[in-house]
Amino acid sequence: MFSTSSQRKFWTFSDESEIARHREKHNLEYISKHGQHIDEYQRYNFFLSPEEERLLLKQYELHLKEFCKRFMPPMPKGVVGTAFHYFKRFYLYNSSMDYHPKEILATCVYLACKVEEFNVSIGQFVANIKGDREKASDIILNNELLLMQQLNYHLTIHNPFRPVEGFLIDIKTRCTLANPERLRSGIDEFLEKVFLTEACLLYAPSQIALAAVLHAASKEQENLDSYVTDMLFRDAGQDKLAILIEAVRKIRSMVKMVESPARERVRIIEKKLDRCRNQENNPDSEIYKRRMREALDEDDLPHTGSSRMSLDTSGISQVLSPSAS
Amino acid sequence: MDDQACPRCKTTKYRNPSLKLMVNVCGHALCESCVDLLFLKGSGSCPDCNVPLRRSNFRVQLFEDSMVEKEIDIRKRVLKDFNKKEEDFATLREYNDYLEEIETIIFNLANNIDVVGTNKRIEQYKKDNKEIIMKNKAKIGREELELEEILEIEKQMEELRRAEVIKMEEEAKKQKIREKEALIDELMFADGDAKGILSTFAQTVANKQEEAVPVLPKVTQFSSGVKFTRGSGQQPLPFIEEGPLYKYEAPPQPDRVGPDPPSVQAIVNNGYLRHVRAETETEKAGGYSSTLPCLRALQDALSGLYHAS
Repeated sequence: MFSTSSQRKFWTFSDESEIARHREKHNLEYISKHGQHIDEYQRYNFFLSPEEERLLLKQYELHLKEFCKRFMPPMPKGVVGTAFHYFKRFYLYNSSMDYHPKEILATCVYLACKVEEFNVSIGQFVANIKGDREKASDIILNNELLLMQQLNYHLTIHNPFRPVEGFLIDIKTRCTLANPERLRSGIDEFLEKVFLTEACLLYAPSQIALAAVLHAASKEQENLDSYVTDMLFRDAGQDKLAILIEAVRKIRSMVKMVESPARERVRIIEKKLDRCRNQENNPDSEIYKRRMREALDEDDLPHTGSSRMSLDTSGISQVLSPSAS
Repeated sequence: MDDQACPRCKTTKYRNPSLKLMVNVCGHALCESCVDLLFLKGSGSCPDCNVPLRRSNFRVQLFEDSMVEKEIDIRKRVLKDFNKKEEDFATLREYNDYLEEIETIIFNLANNIDVVGTNKRIEQYKKDNKEIIMKNKAKIGREELELEEILEIEKQMEELRRAEVIKMEEEAKKQKIREKEALIDELMFADGDAKGILSTFAQTVANKQEEAVPVLPKVTQFSSGVKFTRGSGQQPLPFIEEGPLYKYEAPPQPDRVGPDPPSVQAIVNNGYLRHVRAETETEKAGGYSSTLPCLRALQDALSGLYHAS
């Protein structure tokens, strides 16, 4: 139940400024840690600003959506929602310069598959990734434990999908609305966009679901206000109703504001990121390869000459993954 | 037997039938009188090998071959320290190795092979296994004590039974005498036919014997000789104080932060199930019912609606 969940306790914030504060803090932390040798002025040209990070992550949220949409075998909506939650939560307390969103994105989806009991093996999973698949599986498995740690092992996610079903059942039973099933397409469209906003870090899944239902109804030129006021909130006070109305309004306006970031800007930011990212966590960098080699040698494991690790040793490399830095 | 002779005074069993040969740790025999003579002061050396000996360590030679005696002696001494049991080893193999080692040590000592080295080995072992040796010694001591106790009890029981039998026999004897006297009295003073009196008496004696089936002593032990209750060791089971019986209380319902969802009853009665996929026969067998997902969806929909940041 959401009311007693870790999601409500630790991952639902009071307002957007609180979220922004967290992000800014970790942006500044990264800059102060890695930018000691660069003078004040140059720093802002070299590192990403909080706004740039935000834009970049928005772009990667779009990538995440696309990746899940094209995933074979097709994945249930719950996995997508959970992956989005993980992705957003991870970058609340980490900078995208420290861990490249490309890598965290795949790890989030992989972990979400596991948690939502959508059974795909790592081999099946990386078949959906373009490029070097073996390297991808190494990266995902290396980052999996780090991701769980950063999520503080709060892995259960309350998605708005089941509440939507609940509302539809309730509406069908208690309302006179004709054919509520026609709301579905509107609801799905709304929920897809909701995950591109901060709404899931601010509101209860049932509030998001209700916003989706109300939005879809208004698109169909139906009015469900009386259902909300006379049925759902009949016994609750006016103050509670007011809170809900405000929440629904905010969620709907957030969804309306969703826009994909300008491609040109993102391209510049990505280039900038390539230079300022933490090389210790970059699997292509020399420093990362050297450390992995050292870690392998330390454990007295037979290594095959190349720095790339095979899947069998991934258990060890996970422990020695970049999170150790 | 005839050639059994004291090596010192050359007395043989033939000349002195009460000859008793004694041996000490070194394994060389002496007759009892020679021991008395030589070890007047309590200690001295063996006339054969000059090993210093103590008088108190002399024992009667049980075996003809004095080597066997010596070996037994050594064995006794070694086993006092090498007292591990099979339970002290992880595997049978280890235990067997240990036994083998003991035998090697005993053989070496008995045959004077590398005596210094072997003694060193024993010392080393003693040092290494001090605790286990002490523990096992105590254990063996305890076991012996228990055994002695059982023997003592058995002895007592035996005595008791014997006394009982003797008492009964005496009782029977007295009874017989009394009966005889009564019969003679009757024959002397009664006026009836002597034959009749005899027959009636024979009758009563027979009756009495039937009656006097010996009273069995009270059974206090199993047929194996173990007492029903052993005085020490076994206490009656301690009575455990039990608190009040456990009473189930339904766990408190957490705050749902939303309107109350309909109860299971309401879901069934108010037609919610019309909008949920009905369960199949197979699913029913597994305990699934469509009320469950329906209730869960409704609960999830309503929980958290009042959530305020």
